[in-house]
Amino acid sequence: MSRSALVAIGKPPLVLAVSGVAILMILPFYWMVMTAFVPAPDIIAFPPKWIPSRLTLAHFAEAFAKAPWLAYYWNSFVVAVVSVGCSLLFGLFAGYAFAVYRFPLQNFFFLMILATLMVPVQVTSVALYILLARIGWVDTYLGILAPNFASAFGVFMIRQGIKAIPLDLIEAARMDGAGEARIVLTIIAPLIKTTLATVAMILFLGSWNDFLWPVIVINSQDLRTIPVGIALFKDPYGSMNYGPLMAATVISTGPMLLAYIVSQKFMIRGIALTGLKG
Amino acid sequence: MGSHANASGRHVLARFRARRILHAYLFIAPVIVLFGIFRVVPAIQTLLYSFYKVELLRGRFTFIGLDNFRTLLTDEIFQKAAVNTLVYVASIVPISAALGLILAVLFNTRFRFKEFFKAVYFAPMVTSTVAAAVVWWWMYNPQFGIFNVLLKLVGLPEQPWLMSSHMALPSIIIFSIWKTLGYNMIIYLAGLQAIPQQFYEAATIDGAGAIKRFWRISVPLLAPTTTFILIYNGILAFQVFDQVFVLTGGGPANSTNVVVLDLYRQAFERYNFGYAAAEAMVLFVFILGVTLLQYVYSKRFEVAY
Repeated sequence: MSRSALVAIGKPPLVLAVSGVAILMILPFYWMVMTAFVPAPDIIAFPPKWIPSRLTLAHFAEAFAKAPWLAYYWNSFVVAVVSVGCSLLFGLFAGYAFAVYRFPLQNFFFLMILATLMVPVQVTSVALYILLARIGWVDTYLGILAPNFASAFGVFMIRQGIKAIPLDLIEAARMDGAGEARIVLTIIAPLIKTTLATVAMILFLGSWNDFLWPVIVINSQDLRTIPVGIALFKDPYGSMNYGPLMAATVISTGPMLLAYIVSQKFMIRGIALTGLKG
Repeated sequence: MGSHANASGRHVLARFRARRILHAYLFIAPVIVLFGIFRVVPAIQTLLYSFYKVELLRGRFTFIGLDNFRTLLTDEIFQKAAVNTLVYVASIVPISAALGLILAVLFNTRFRFKEFFKAVYFAPMVTSTVAAAVVWWWMYNPQFGIFNVLLKLVGLPEQPWLMSSHMALPSIIIFSIWKTLGYNMIIYLAGLQAIPQQFYEAATIDGAGAIKRFWRISVPLLAPTTTFILIYNGILAFQVFDQVFVLTGGGPANSTNVVVLDLYRQAFERYNFGYAAAEAMVLFVFILGVTLLQYVYSKRFEVAY
């Protein structure tokens, strides 16, 4: 018998507790998928059918007929890619400046960036909305993106990453005549690619799941991101139409859960090491 | 001649420094400008607007002093929202932290499929709060929802869950525990793994049992981790919105209304922007309070270590 099997047998209460709670943790996912794929009568069968006897895609057809999910995907995707891209690019240059240069008001600017972490969009939404209404950005991609073009968390993480790089390396590149911008993009960026990947993952996840700001700034159905789409899809439903609703949640959580299954070690590590909020 | 070379050297160096400073400002400019426009200015303006009556469509801003704050003091719905938010924070933060710690202790041993279980516990963390809350809304359904079906199966009385003004807030808290538990567990696990094994070995030789080792070694040495978890969860908990919006919309009878939801309604459904700005200031004071606590406590631990 293998050693790990012996260990497992030696601790039945532990394994029981861990798997018992695990069942509770996984129950919502199971129930979501189950409701999405079984025919309507089986959804409300009592006692519940834990293992489905027949499957259907009818709920997905209905969900797709009632809301433009592909448009929601596209909106979420565009917003996430642009905000992550800008945050990484601007963060890379700002992080480099804060890590490598000494310049007047350096600490003031750095503290200003960090201080924005303490004033989330929940607090600033009123004035931000009024500002965007004045410049005509309400109900546009730019409106959703406005507070997310740069990330304080990103600047901070990238600065930490660059600080760990030996200065000699940068000096050597300067000797070779490389300009500062080129050093940042071709020498620094590859050296801190793990940091960049972690920051990108966390910002992407944050943008993809963000709800409050998009629901404030978007009015048109065509411009809804997935969380806004699903939250407003729920409203007109009475008590019986859970199939299409769960099909919609499968549609909206599916890609992220697949990404998680493929790269869970990287995602758990990244989120645990750095916190989640951008 | 020597002094001439020296002077031109100094000149080169000064030009070099000036270029570095120019580079620095160019490199931080995008972030500073974007943050200035979209974060710093709105933060200051929200403070200003809290002293105004804002009529956006007419473009009229009327200074009314502290009137918004005076109204807040007599606004029963906002007070309910503030109390609910405090109850929510005071429940979710310690419960989720304690459960996370217990799970971390269990996970700090060797057993089969550990990585798999870790991934399962963490899965709610990467799931969108809105989508997960929609699923829970269905699970809390009093007639066909899985929770009441399970209660019925084991012969226990069914519960009204979100329909009852007594149970709705606890139901939301249960959801949020499910959502945050895995994160706290992973953080505590990292904390536990950083404690040197010799401490436990020495205590075992001295005859300390598992429970005693937990209270005398793990808990005190995890104090910095605990502080981080309480502060981090606390700041996020004060901003609770998504799950309330989806699960109850603040009802029944405002029993689950929270500060951000009330702010959202005042600003973006009733267009009382000035009043909503005053509510935002209350929220900011809450968050500031937690942040200051963090500052005080992290100082204390720096001294202790």
